[in-house]
Parts: sequence; structure tokens; C-alpha cells
Amino acid sequence: MENSNCKSCETPSNRAFAFCILHFALHAKPPILGVLLLLTLATTLAAQRQSAAPAPGTAAVPDLEGGWVRIDIDGSGSFNGLAAKFPRAVLTPAAQAAVAEQGKRAAQPRFDFARDPSKPRPAGEGYVVTDGNCSLPGGVEPNSAAFHVVQSRDQVLIVRENPGLPRTIYMDGRAHPDLSRLTPTAVGHSTGRYDAGTLVVETIGLAQGNVTAGGWRTPETRLTERYRVSSDGRRLTTTYTWEDAKIYVKPHTYQIVAERTPPGSWAFESWCDSSDPSQRLSIVPPAQKE
Amino acid sequence: MRRAACILFAVVISATPSAQSSPDISGFWELSFDSRRVPAASLLPAVTPAVLAKRTEHDAHAIRWCNFLGLPMAMDSPRPINIRQGRREIVINFETVATPRHLYFRPSHPNMEIFDPTTNGDSIARWEGDTLIVDTIGFDGGKGVTMIPGGGYRTSDSHLIERFRLLNDALLSVTSTWQDAKVFRTPHTYEFRYVRAPRLYEAQPPLACNPFDEQRAAFLSPSATGGR
Repeated sequence: MENSNCKSCETPSNRAFAFCILHFALHAKPPILGVLLLLTLATTLAAQRQSAAPAPGTAAVPDLEGGWVRIDIDGSGSFNGLAAKFPRAVLTPAAQAAVAEQGKRAAQPRFDFARDPSKPRPAGEGYVVTDGNCSLPGGVEPNSAAFHVVQSRDQVLIVRENPGLPRTIYMDGRAHPDLSRLTPTAVGHSTGRYDAGTLVVETIGLAQGNVTAGGWRTPETRLTERYRVSSDGRRLTTTYTWEDAKIYVKPHTYQIVAERTPPGSWAFESWCDSSDPSQRLSIVPPAQKE
Repeated sequence: MRRAACILFAVVISATPSAQSSPDISGFWELSFDSRRVPAASLLPAVTPAVLAKRTEHDAHAIRWCNFLGLPMAMDSPRPINIRQGRREIVINFETVATPRHLYFRPSHPNMEIFDPTTNGDSIARWEGDTLIVDTIGFDGGKGVTMIPGGGYRTSDSHLIERFRLLNDALLSVTSTWQDAKVFRTPHTYEFRYVRAPRLYEAQPPLACNPFDEQRAAFLSPSATGGR
């Protein structure tokens, strides 16, 4: 068999591998060997074509598609209450210092116009709770708004009902880009695969910040999520595992559970208008009766 | 011999049935400079220049304050749009200030009595041969950017029918037909053709929009208001 400088053989992808085989087949001696190689390749590619769109709901691929709402599984009263029951992150001294610094910053007023939130407001004067900017960054974990999952052939997409970046999870075998070419965001860069009925998602490139249950993250931190649907299809349990030798003494792990929205339900639009002054407020105290 | 082998290879590949009976329009799709074929809309006499001017002012306010764009402007994106086709729905995500679209493979819309109108409305989809027909109602005529290419604007009574069809693997045609008894004399139809983005395209964070950027506000319009 003639060898050659088959550049595609150096690229670890199915398509490149196919071209590589094709190249060898066309140059094979004796030619009958090439024909056999081509038949093998054609059969393989045809089989791949048929399996290109995974069938969700099988033993191999979980049926994640649809709307989900995070739930309080044990009556903790709030998501903060739930998180208080998670195992606390065990941090390195350097990470502990970073978290402490962040805590100091968080204690400062967030907005120029923020006033002392501990002082009661008179009737008609609302409590300022945001700067009114509707461009929320979102994040990797769901909040109280529903999130929606769609499983396409080569991507899983998770979108929120409230403002926030979508989760684009590449299922086509691509690698993470080099961190030097990645702008850190609240959702980072995610690749995924199906593993025996579980969607496994690897994420890097997250913007520096807090992690649930006392954790910390930087763009180098690796998050592994394992999405598993209950046998009745109604509950989705996501196991979060944070790993970073500079931050965690041991992997930091916890679970979040969501419930499937009822059949026939639809995604809401969480309207937000920065020009509306009441957008910044939580509660406007009414006039009190004497 | 080599030619025969190639022919054999092609025959085996092409004879294998696809796993999906309907086309898969999943991908990142982008508009180019020559992607829009938009005729002028035939508007009702009631849609006077004064009415249109008021709508223009409304839309300028929405842009100034980074409101969710909604349809049809979300589909006229300067960035690739991400279309992902699942079994029960198709989600279209935008790299602009727009909420995702959900195109549900369902036979009917929800009861509009209990549906909160949105900038994208409620979309149901079905395949007719190689064409995806998307039917959308439930718009909020008072939110987002409402102007429609070619003339007219979205109202709460608007009815949009889109036809998505792959012209080839790299070109997606989307024909939009707007009907609205308050705006159009006849249904208004236009076509966008989206080009498939490179296979390894990476979704980007949405274009930033800061409503409190004074320089931006000054740039956008001398009539930009300082809030409602």
C-alpha cells in the first residue's frame, strides 16, 4: 500500500479518518484491496449516518428534551436553604483568600444609587434591588425560572426563560479551545457525550466567581456535570463536580434536582425593561393605616 | 479500477436511507448582504404616516433600552442564529438581545385566554414534505421592535406563517408571511436565505447592549427618551 502525506490522518475526527482510509484505498496495491477497504468504509459511514441523530429516551441516550424547573426536594424553604445542606467545598489556602476578598467586595453597595437596605422605606418609596440592567449573565446552574433542553444531532442546547446566556454543549467531538482564545463567561465552553444513559458535560472557561456551597472558580477550573433522568422521565438530577488543583483540596460535588414541566406547557418570556424605573425595585411599601 | 471503486463507494453511501424522515435544519445560520428579498407591503389606509411614525418612535425606544427584540427583528440578526432541532421542538437561539424561539411540534396553540403574549409569540410547527411550516400567534404588539421588513408592524393580532426549507445543505430559505387585519391589505410575504456557518463555528456571547451607556444613547437618536 502506498503511503503518502495524508494530512487528514493527523486529525482525530471521523471525517478525517474516512478521508484517510479513502486515500489509502485509492492508492492500494493490489487494487482489489482498495475495493475491499472502500466497501468497509462505505458501510461504516452509512451506519454512522443512520446513528448520527441519537434517539433520546433509549438506554444510551437520556430523554432530556423539554422544560424543567428546579425543585426543593427536601423542604429546605429556599435554594439557599438547599445549598446549605450541600457538602461544603474544601478549599486551598489561596482559594480561601480569594473567596474572602470576594466576600468583602460583595458587602459593598452594588450600585452607585444604592442606599442602606437596612433602613425602612417610607410609603411609596421602593427598595432598590438591581441596577435595572436586564442583561443578566445567567450561569451553569438553574434558578427559579424554567430551563429548556433540546437535543439535536450534534449539540445540546439549554436555554432559560429569564435573561441569561444559553448553554451550548457541543456533542460533535470537538475539543475545548485553548483558554487564550476563550472569553470567560458565566457559562464557559462546554462539550458533552452520552455515557450509558447519562449526559456528561465538561466545561471550562468560566468567569471567575463564586460556586455553590462555598466554592470558587476561575477559567481554568473544570466543571463536570452528569445529567440523569429518572426512570419515569419526570425528574432530572444533575451532579456538579468542580475540580481545580489550585482551588479544591478534593473535588467539590453536589446535586440539583429539577422536575419536568407538564405536557403541553410552553416557555414563558421573562420581560424586563430597563427604562421602567420600577424594574429596579422589589417592594414599594404601601401607605400604612394608623 | 479506481473509478469503479469510487462509483461503488458512492452508490453504497447514497443508497443507505437516512435515519430521519424529515430534514434536519440544525446548525448555525447567518444572513449575508444578498440574503433578503423583501417586497413592499400593501398596507391598509388606516396605517397612515403618523401611525408609522409613532411605531418608529416606539421601536427606537425599545432599541435604546435594550428591550427584547422579538419577531421579526430577531430573525434578521447580524450574527449567526443557532437552530437546534429536537424531537418535540426546535429551539432558535440568537446572539442578540432576543429571547429564544421555541417551535413546538404540536397540532394546536395553547388557549390564548391564558397565554401571556410575548415578543416571539407561540409557534407550532409541522413538516409538509421537505418544508417546515411554522405558525405563530400570541404576539405582544406593545413590546420589542415591531417593524416588519417591507412595511407594517407586529400587533397583538398578527399571524405569522414561516416556511423553512433547505435549498441545499448550506442554504436555508425562510419565507415569512404576515397577516394582520389591522395592518395589511393582503398577506405580506418576504424571504430570507441563511447561509450555513462553518462547521466548527463557536457560539459567541450575545452582542452587548448596555441601556445605561450614555454615549450609546446619544448616538442612537436625538429623540431618545430618558425613561418612561
